[in-house]
Amino acid sequence: MTNVIEVKHLHKAFGTNTVLDDINFTVQKGEKVALIGPSGGGKSTLLRCLIHVEGGYSGEVNFEGQPVNHASKETLQKLRQKMGFVFQQFNLFPHMTVLENITFAPKKLKIDDPKAIEAHAHQLLEEVGLANKANAYPQSLSGGQQQRVAIARALAMKPEVMLFDEPTSALDPEMVGEVLGVMKKLAADGMTMIIVTHEMAFARDVADQVLFMDQGKIADSGTATHIFKETTNPRTQEFLAKMMD
Amino acid sequence: MSDLVQYYPMFLEGTALTILITVIGSVIGILLGLLFVMMRLSKVKVISAIGRIYISVVRGTPSMIQVMLIYYTLAKSLDLPTIQFLGSSLDRIIPGSIALGINSGAYVAEIFRAGITSIPVGQTEAGISLGLSERETMQSIVLPQALRNVLPALGNEFITLVKESSVLFYIGVQEVTAQALAVGGTLYNFIPPLLVSAVIYFILTFVLSQVFALMEKKMGAKYTRLN
Ligand SMILES: Nc1ncnc2c1ncn2[C@@H]1O[C@H](COP(=O)(O)OP(=O)(O)OP(=O)(O)O)[C@@H](O)[C@H]1O
Ligand SMILES: [Mg+2]
Repeated sequence: MTNVIEVKHLHKAFGTNTVLDDINFTVQKGEKVALIGPSGGGKSTLLRCLIHVEGGYSGEVNFEGQPVNHASKETLQKLRQKMGFVFQQFNLFPHMTVLENITFAPKKLKIDDPKAIEAHAHQLLEEVGLANKANAYPQSLSGGQQQRVAIARALAMKPEVMLFDEPTSALDPEMVGEVLGVMKKLAADGMTMIIVTHEMAFARDVADQVLFMDQGKIADSGTATHIFKETTNPRTQEFLAKMMD
Repeated sequence: MSDLVQYYPMFLEGTALTILITVIGSVIGILLGLLFVMMRLSKVKVISAIGRIYISVVRGTPSMIQVMLIYYTLAKSLDLPTIQFLGSSLDRIIPGSIALGINSGAYVAEIFRAGITSIPVGQTEAGISLGLSERETMQSIVLPQALRNVLPALGNEFITLVKESSVLFYIGVQEVTAQALAVGGTLYNFIPPLLVSAVIYFILTFVLSQVFALMEKKMGAKYTRLN
C-alpha cells in the first residue's frame, strides 16, 4: 500500500492561538478518512493546510512522497491539481456557466485537449445527475445542485485525492442526501477521500479511518467500528452522544 | 439665435474633441487604475505604498493643477508634434489626455479596490485549489466578477470624466467648453453658447449612462440563465 498523504508533527497557530497541535496521520491510496469533532477543533484548518491554502505551519505534509510545505509555487500548483477540494459554501464561479465552471481550470492548465475536457465534463455532469444544467449559471441552481457541480469541477482535474470540508453543512436537509449519494458513489469507485463531516451515519458507513479532532489534537482515531462502537475515550463518547440526538 | 447657428462647426469640432480626450483619458484611466490597484493590494510594502501615495495625491489635489503641471512638464521635457487636430495642436491634446487619464486612474483604482475586496475569498481559494496560479485566479475569476460589481461606479466615473474634461480648456485644448467661450467672445454674449455646451454635455453623459445601464442589465440577465 502506498501512502498518498503523510502528515507528521503538524503544528499551526494563529497568533498565540494554537489550532493544530502535533497532528500525525497517513492516508493510503483508496482510503476514506472521516474527520469529525466539535466546532473550532481545527478540522477545516487541517484540510486547508493539506492543500496549502493555509500556510505558516511547522511539521511535514507530504503528498505522494513530495513535501507540500517548502514546495516552490510551480510545484505547489502541480500538487494542488492532484487534490480536489470541495468547500462548504460551494464557491462556484458565478460568472461562468456550469460547464465553464468545470472546464475552465482543466483547459487553462491544459491537462488534456479541449474536446476531451468537454466530453469528460459532460460525463461528470451525467454522473452527478445534472446533465441538463450544463449551460445554466450557478445562481439559478439549488444548493444541492451547486455542490454537485462543485464536486464535478474538482473531479474534472482528475485528482488523486478529494478533500471535502463539510460539503453538506450549508444545505437544506432535503438536499443533503443527493450530495452524500454522489460522494458514496465516488467512494465506491475507489477515490481516496478525506471528509470533514457532521453526518455521523455517513462517516460510519463510508470511512476506513476516523479521526476525532478536539482542540487542535487528534484525540481519538481508528476504524469506524472502533470510533462508533468500541472507543472508551470520554470526549469521543460525549461528542457522539451529542451528535446522535 | 441665427447668429449661434452659424457657429455649429465649432461646436461639432469641440464635441468631437471632448469625446476624443474623454475616450483616451478613460482608456489610460482604466489601465492605470488596474496597475495601481494591483500595486495597492500588493503584499510588498513598498509597492503598496506607491499605489497608496498615487491615489491619495491625485484625489487630494485639484484636477486643474494636475492638468497644468502635467502639461507644462511634458511640454518642456518632450518634443511633442504641433500638428493641428480638431482645432487644437497635438502638443496640447496629448498631455491633456494623459493628465485626464492619470487623474481618472486614481479614482478607477479605488473603484476596482472596492470591487475586488467585495469578492469572497472563497472564490480565490476555489481557483487556487484547482491548481490555477494566483495571477490566473485574479485575472479570470476575481477581476471579471469585480468588474461586474463596479460597473455602476465605473459608469459614474466616466460621466464625471466627460464633464471634468472641460479643465483642458486651461491648457488651450479647444474642447466644447473652450469653443463655447470662443463663440461667446465673438457674440459678446456668453449665455447662449454656454447653454449649448451644457446641452451637449448632458446628451453625452445621458447616452453614456444609458450604455452602462444596458451593460448592467445584460450582465445581470446572463447570471441567472436557467439552463
Ligand atoms: N484565519 C484565521 N485567523 C485566526 N484564527 C482562525 C482562522 N481560521 C481559523 N481560526 C481559528 O482556528 C480554530 C480552528 O478553526 P477551524 O475552522 O479549523 O475549526 P473547525 O474544526 O473546522 O470548526 P467547524 O466545525 O466550526 O468548521 C478556531 O478557534 C478558529 O477561531
Ligand atoms: Mg470547519
